[in-house]
Amino acid sequence: MTTTDTTTTPKKPKPRHAVGTRRTLTAEELSAYGLRDRWYPILPSHLLANGAMQKVTRLGVDWLLFRDATGRVRMLEDRCPHRSAPLSAGQHLGDRVACRYHGVQVDGTGTVVAVPGMPGCALEGRQSTPSLAVVEAADAIFAFMPLTEDSEPTPFELPDRLQQEEHSHFLNYVEWAGQWRFYMDNVLDPMHGAFLHGDSHSMSGGDTSARFRIRETDRGFFFEKTDQRGKNFDWVEFVRGAMDHVDLEIPYGDEAGPGGPFGIVGMSVPIDADNVAVFHWRTRKVDGWEREVWRFLYRTSLEEKHFAVLEQDRSVLEILAKDADTHEHLYQHDLGVSRIRRLYKADAKAQAKILAGEA
Amino acid sequence: MSQYLEVHQTHPEPFSPYELKLSGSIQEIFGRGVHDLPGLVSGLNDLGLHAPDGSSWTQESFRDEMRRMGR
Repeated sequence: MTTTDTTTTPKKPKPRHAVGTRRTLTAEELSAYGLRDRWYPILPSHLLANGAMQKVTRLGVDWLLFRDATGRVRMLEDRCPHRSAPLSAGQHLGDRVACRYHGVQVDGTGTVVAVPGMPGCALEGRQSTPSLAVVEAADAIFAFMPLTEDSEPTPFELPDRLQQEEHSHFLNYVEWAGQWRFYMDNVLDPMHGAFLHGDSHSMSGGDTSARFRIRETDRGFFFEKTDQRGKNFDWVEFVRGAMDHVDLEIPYGDEAGPGGPFGIVGMSVPIDADNVAVFHWRTRKVDGWEREVWRFLYRTSLEEKHFAVLEQDRSVLEILAKDADTHEHLYQHDLGVSRIRRLYKADAKAQAKILAGEA
Repeated sequence: MSQYLEVHQTHPEPFSPYELKLSGSIQEIFGRGVHDLPGLVSGLNDLGLHAPDGSSWTQESFRDEMRRMGR
């Protein structure tokens, strides 16, 4: 009796490149430059005019944003498929951009539509520049940042307060010279409100000591004080929706009028390993004349006060050592910080495995 | 890199002295704990602030102004 040897040598894992890079990122690099396969806010809508182009760096990759002749936003890797010159240095041609170097024309899908120097060349018709799925909503441009070229965008859904009519909102956008992870640590740490923001227009109330707990939800978790509510920055919800975000409320003083506390929907997108773009939508559940008055007061006065508070955060986050999150001595107030770090570390490992061809 | 750190992102144009005065007065009245529309309107009149046409504020004229400026 003969037997057939059916054993085969295991296939060697084939490493893959992260979209917009020419290399396989490690878990540490993914942690530093930002996790993928999720939606991120990219830029406020008003910063990209009709017919305009804008270069942005996100997750350590240079991208070109351009608004085509119909007003639709496109996002391409800022790199001509021919010789890699930045497309952002080229010319906006309505539905496409022309590279400044050799005039190669790339449309919003990343397809080369013309090679003027050599018509009929094989590059024509090829989709060779990464193009991201883009949605414009809540005054911002969002994009799905894929891990690999096989990644399929998940359904886009705005956070609750940004899609519910009863909440009015204003977007604030800033860029900080700090790591994106420190932004997440900061918002998962409500207790800093009583100290860093203790002299602010909104966070001077309440105790300077507290007990906290984590409360699980089906979409993330709450990190909240057990003994105080509605006096300061007393709770935060971390939500894993279409996009990771935080949701929280902070009381206003009497001078801000009726309508109760203001809410914050917060998100960040890494620019690179050392810089972060931060998006905060300040919201309020107000209707009728109360809504109009809040919007008037926000523009004339409150926006500046909110900005001063945000600057207090920046003043600390930008001077933290790059390795500030190693060898710390965390205490009970840092349960939220520990949780978010664990979660992101696991994400980074899982994504690194996919890139390494091991998952 | 140059950082985007703009304080006033919701209104590229500066406000007029009238708008700032109105804003400050509204906050002053709210600051006293008055949060209803009739109280706010009479508070503005008590402060000697006039509606855009020079007359006293009414709830209607105040709402018209806020519809315009608080979109």
